[in-house]
Amino acid sequence: MNLNILWFILLAVIILGWSVMDGFDYGVGGLLKFIAKNDNERRYVINSIGPVWEGNQVWLILGGGAVFAAFPFVYAAIFSGFYLAMMLVVWLIIFRAVSFEFRSRVESTGWRNFWDSSITVTGLGIALLFGVAIANILMGIPLNKEHIDYQSLFSLLNIFGLVGGLISLSMFLMHGSTYLIMKTEGGIQKRARVFASGFAYAYIIFTILFLLLSLVFAQRLLNNSFGIIGDIVPIIMIIGGIGVIVSAKSLKSDIKPFAYSVLGIVGAVASLAVGIFPDIVPSSINPKYSLNIYNSASNHLTLFVMLIATIIGLPLVLIYAFYAYKKFGLKVKMDESSY
Amino acid sequence: MDSLALILARFQFGMTAFFHFIYPPLTIGLGVLLVITEGIYVYSKNQDYLRITRFFAKLFAINFVVGVATGIVMEFQFGTNWSQYSSYVGAIFGAPLAIEGLFAFFMESIFVGVMLLGWNRLSPKAHWVSTIFVAIGSALSGVWILVANSWMQTPRGYKIGLNGIPKMTNFWHVVFNPYFPFEFIHVITGAWEYGAFFMAGVASWFLIKNNKDMVMRKALKIAVIVGVVVACFQIVFGDISAKEVVKYQPTKLAMMEALWHSKRYAPETLFALPNNKTQSNGPHIAIPGLLSMLAYMNPAAKVMGFNKSINYINHKYDLKLTPAMFPPVWIVFWSFHIMMYLGFYFAAVMIIALILLLKNKLYDNRKILKVFLFSTFLPLVALELGWFTTEIGRQPFTVYGLLTTVKSVSPNVSASDVGLSIFMFILIYITLASFAIFLFKKELKERLEGKDELAGEVSNKAKANANAKAKEVLS
Ligand code: HDD
Ligand code: HEM
Ligand code: HEM
Repeated sequence: MNLNILWFILLAVIILGWSVMDGFDYGVGGLLKFIAKNDNERRYVINSIGPVWEGNQVWLILGGGAVFAAFPFVYAAIFSGFYLAMMLVVWLIIFRAVSFEFRSRVESTGWRNFWDSSITVTGLGIALLFGVAIANILMGIPLNKEHIDYQSLFSLLNIFGLVGGLISLSMFLMHGSTYLIMKTEGGIQKRARVFASGFAYAYIIFTILFLLLSLVFAQRLLNNSFGIIGDIVPIIMIIGGIGVIVSAKSLKSDIKPFAYSVLGIVGAVASLAVGIFPDIVPSSINPKYSLNIYNSASNHLTLFVMLIATIIGLPLVLIYAFYAYKKFGLKVKMDESSY
Repeated sequence: MDSLALILARFQFGMTAFFHFIYPPLTIGLGVLLVITEGIYVYSKNQDYLRITRFFAKLFAINFVVGVATGIVMEFQFGTNWSQYSSYVGAIFGAPLAIEGLFAFFMESIFVGVMLLGWNRLSPKAHWVSTIFVAIGSALSGVWILVANSWMQTPRGYKIGLNGIPKMTNFWHVVFNPYFPFEFIHVITGAWEYGAFFMAGVASWFLIKNNKDMVMRKALKIAVIVGVVVACFQIVFGDISAKEVVKYQPTKLAMMEALWHSKRYAPETLFALPNNKTQSNGPHIAIPGLLSMLAYMNPAAKVMGFNKSINYINHKYDLKLTPAMFPPVWIVFWSFHIMMYLGFYFAAVMIIALILLLKNKLYDNRKILKVFLFSTFLPLVALELGWFTTEIGRQPFTVYGLLTTVKSVSPNVSASDVGLSIFMFILIYITLASFAIFLFKKELKERLEGKDELAGEVSNKAKANANAKAKEVLS
């Protein structure tokens, strides 16, 4: 295996890390207004992610940095090509980040309602836009010979992109619900169980719809480089979804639904990776203009240095995260320093 | 690509970087001070130091989160607005950014959650260790972003490949490029200086209202002790930074000093109104020979002037730059000079405060308290002006000698797109800043009104309160 392939896999791992670790933050945020009825409940829900969302968000930054370093042409093409969409995501992220911190500092209902709405809207928005972007990349974007894309914001909004968005939206909401099952007790947990299976149904339905649409819009999913094995990878998504439905209903375990949700996400990221390999950004104008793991990559030394950095750094990250999660326990406990 | 799009992209980068850099220096500076005050608490068990730590940690939290929110913009902006830059140098420049995420941001952001919400879950020592991790993490993020930036100033460790794009040939040469060590030291010291002045300013605000506030007296004392050391060293480090500029970026030095023509016994100009058109300084005050002395330790040494330095660069890098491609000299000149004057001012203030502290007159001297209150945010001004010197003085290059700004911009992003995003950024940033200021003030006022639910006995009540609320939720 060469370094380019390895970096393609590492990138998938980072996207997976982001979806699993930060995905539930967006999901919980998107659910906030719907699952919690009063201020106390909302605080309770927010504190389920309170101590950890900031660390989780770094996965996104790491993703940006890793693409920049390993596949600079992809970084340049996607971010400039999706200019206004990227900006929209950035604005949502800005508001989301400050909402958590600002919300509980003033005890007025209006103030808190404002930031709660902001948490919900930004959570939903980012979850949706993520899938829209991925689906559009899968479909191919109009990269010209210089690997530059001159399309407008609105060309992203097509039916395939939209269904992709709905997949990621339902996925993150499912993930957030299962996270709440794990972290909470009482009424919120009961509601989270209902939400979890509801969004799991949606996840399965949109996945199937997406796969059907891909026969028209993104045949590369069917004709992927792994043949029949590649074709069956998306089934993992559906297994994960079914697992969530079944385990959310049975009251035996608080952790199993989350585990199945993780499986569902693994399936989604694996399907994406398998479907797009060896390209990273296919060109819809001419396959020759596509950015693949070779023509978009940094030189060997950079990839090697970054690999060493990852081998040293990633375990450290996992240790810090493990420590933080352990210190705050499985179930949310409120105290005076909580949000 | 049209030139309006380029101008807007430059404006947007400068503005968002300016805005981002309002926050991280305080994170870095205050982070270290929190380590000190909490450390004193852990070892002396003096509750006052815990109070200081917890109070400033609240301000820290507000500041931190805005820093994070604005930092994410920076991370993506190279790709959105400077796509040609990104594909050209990504193989080198991208690496420190990714490493920063991996080694600095994770450490900082994970432990900041533990630190801010974990007061009751960790033993005092374990909590202190979390605070230390936050401080180390924020300093490390300074390290790696400055590796990236200093590499743009003095690119090393690369070779132009067959496709015309630089390839990394030696990672350590990239990291330890000539600019890096002192750029890092100067920036980090500036951040500590800001932290010290910030703590001193806030403490003075309370002491002006009530000079018997024992907690804030201690905070002021710590701030002055740290501040005096840092402020004196900063002048030395600034001087070293200037010597680096002499060595590697003659065009920047000429602009910083408004030196139009090469000279022996070159003067240090203290005041001038530099004019690019006439290439003259108008009314000015200058000390002959001092610049030569500072630059080369020899008053007779010849210092390269603006025009000569452009010829020199053209010759060295095989380019055809003209003076018209350079930014207005007065911006660089005044950015640099005000920073420098502020540097001397800070050292003077801190030394006077130290003398008063030693004489035991510091807390009753309303004048010095007012000076501190007035100076709370001045180091931030110096920090930003320093960046103006560095970044605008680097023009017309993005990577010195290697890539010009004109060739860095995204070709596919229109002026209207950038215009729209600038408009939105201005709106959002003004909103954020207003909220942050509002919350800062609120925390100050609450403490003034005696709401100190933090240390000791009061905290138990709050705990009981929170437990009751939690039970309500669960039932
Ligand atoms: C509290 C902050 C602060 C203070 C008091 C000073 N500086 Fe500074 N200066 C910075 C904060 C700063 C900075 C923001 O950290 C910069 C911007 C980029 C950098 O490397 O450091 C900077 C840049 C900077 C540069 C440009 C370096 C380059 O092009 O890379 C020079 C020559 C100096 N400084 C010199 C000085 C001198 C002679 C000072 C006087 C006494 C001084 N600085 C005080
Ligand atoms: C945080 C403090 C900083 C401030 C206030 C700042 C300020 C500025 C300003 C004013 C410009 C516009 C210059 C001009 O067009 O005349 C600029 C450009 C730029 N800066 Fe910075 N900068 C900062 C830090 C950084 C860092 C750390 C990096 C890199 C890691 C960086 C990279 C760039 C790039 C790529 C451009 C665009 C190209 C150019 O105009 O040269 N800046 N910055
Ligand atoms: C212009 C280039 C810059 C980029 C691309 C950038 C990127 C970022 C990003 C993505 C974050 C959010 C991190 C998180 O979520 O934890 C951040 C925060 C931070 N940045 Fe920057 N940054 C830039 C300039 C600087 C400079 C010049 C410094 C310091 C010398 C700095 C120091 C920090 C620190 C300490 C934080 C942590 C949050 C905070 O302190 O408020 N950054 N930056």
